[in-house]
Amino acid sequence: MSSHSLDASPDAALPEAPVAQAGALVLAALALPGVLMMGAATPVQAQGAPESGVVGFKYLHYQDEQPGLKRVQVSSPSFYILAPLGPQWSIEGSAVVDEVSGASPRWHSSVSSASHMHDDRKAGDVKVTRYMERASYALGLSTSSEHDYRSNAVSGNANFQSPDKNTTYHVGLGLSRDRIDAVNGGFLNNALGKKKNTHELMFGVTQALSRIDLAQLNVTYSNGKGFFNDPYKAFDERPGRREQLALLGRWNHHLEGDGSTLRASYRFYHDSFKINAHTLGLEWVKPLSGGLVLTPLLRYYSQSAAYFYGNALANPATLPVPANYSVTNPPLYSGDHRLSAFGAITYGMKAEYKVTPDWKLDAKLEQYEQRSNWRLGGSGSTGLSPLSATLVQVGVSRRF
Amino acid sequence: MSSSKHPRGRRLATWAALGALVWTLAGCASLQAPQAWDKGILAKPEMTMDTDPLEARFEQHVYTSKENASGGYGVGGGGCGCN
Repeated sequence: MSSHSLDASPDAALPEAPVAQAGALVLAALALPGVLMMGAATPVQAQGAPESGVVGFKYLHYQDEQPGLKRVQVSSPSFYILAPLGPQWSIEGSAVVDEVSGASPRWHSSVSSASHMHDDRKAGDVKVTRYMERASYALGLSTSSEHDYRSNAVSGNANFQSPDKNTTYHVGLGLSRDRIDAVNGGFLNNALGKKKNTHELMFGVTQALSRIDLAQLNVTYSNGKGFFNDPYKAFDERPGRREQLALLGRWNHHLEGDGSTLRASYRFYHDSFKINAHTLGLEWVKPLSGGLVLTPLLRYYSQSAAYFYGNALANPATLPVPANYSVTNPPLYSGDHRLSAFGAITYGMKAEYKVTPDWKLDAKLEQYEQRSNWRLGGSGSTGLSPLSATLVQVGVSRRF
Repeated sequence: MSSSKHPRGRRLATWAALGALVWTLAGCASLQAPQAWDKGILAKPEMTMDTDPLEARFEQHVYTSKENASGGYGVGGGGCGCN
């Protein structure tokens, strides 16, 4: 079985090259999410497991802000490893610890929500992949735990390639079991031992459209049953079932003139809370001399409000009690800003530097801005303060 | 909500399936699909669909804490309270 580094020269167009070798390259190129999640520095062996492993460490930090107020702050050291186990198997795993502190975004911007908190979230996952001729199969397990929320998930993924290896089909199935135990039972003192079960299904096609164009279309469907309320928000009562549909299109185009690459993506989202959302992403990967790669990026997001979202009251200091409210039979209602109508923009820059062929450093800085009136083609929900966040990532990775 | 009460979701799924089919056919028909020996550029890391798993997971986690939409990239991620 032949092998190639991902750093294969773009001029590697050798008409005499054995078909199996070049085909091997495109298996790497057609890697789909959740199956071949390689680090950027990962060398990939064509058909078969990765030729060498990679270890990576990242320190991630973000800080939420509303005008005049610092909100939630999260620091996350995280670790990743990918190791080949012979020519046909690989194992990969990651672990992360989120240290969360501060306060949630103000509910309706002035009614205090969960108030100040401090929480540690520990999460880890492991995945084993089996590589076959023009196919691969992966089984993954993941777990996440906070003091008031636990989640366990299992996933199965399969990839199939067409005989010319220009098309890859991807099928994925995921199951997750979540358990919620709110501090002191939450607002109504009853959010203890609550459960949420979710089934996810994915189908995707990745197509090499030309020697410099790669496109992908993914559809994911998720069906969740159980407890969707935010137990810390007063009167929050959501449906006990949620269906979500996401349609993602991605297109990568290489510019041969300067060796840079444009990466564009669009996602349409719809769910049974009657929220529609659009996400548009654009990245420009520009290799510079001396092993430095810069990637400026831009993202736009817009969503409509859930049908049971309650707008803020004219007097924002007043707790908005839903009409006909009763504790025994509460009406559907939420003041969660994530269910409101708004638009958001992220802009940022990533820098990668290859110290040696095996060692790589990277850093990424992003700024996120959310505004009600940035919603696509309409006015957003009223009475909400702007929300900002700064995201910082610093990482190092090494091949072995 | 069952899918029979949710014609819009079903309609979207149908369009998605049709779109995938048309895309695949268009890829084979109009654009010049690469030959087996001409895939060096497609193997460059920035031409693959996913690059850094820790970075992707972190960003999806952050966006889940601020926005309602999720999905499209894969299945099987661990959930969180994210309040």
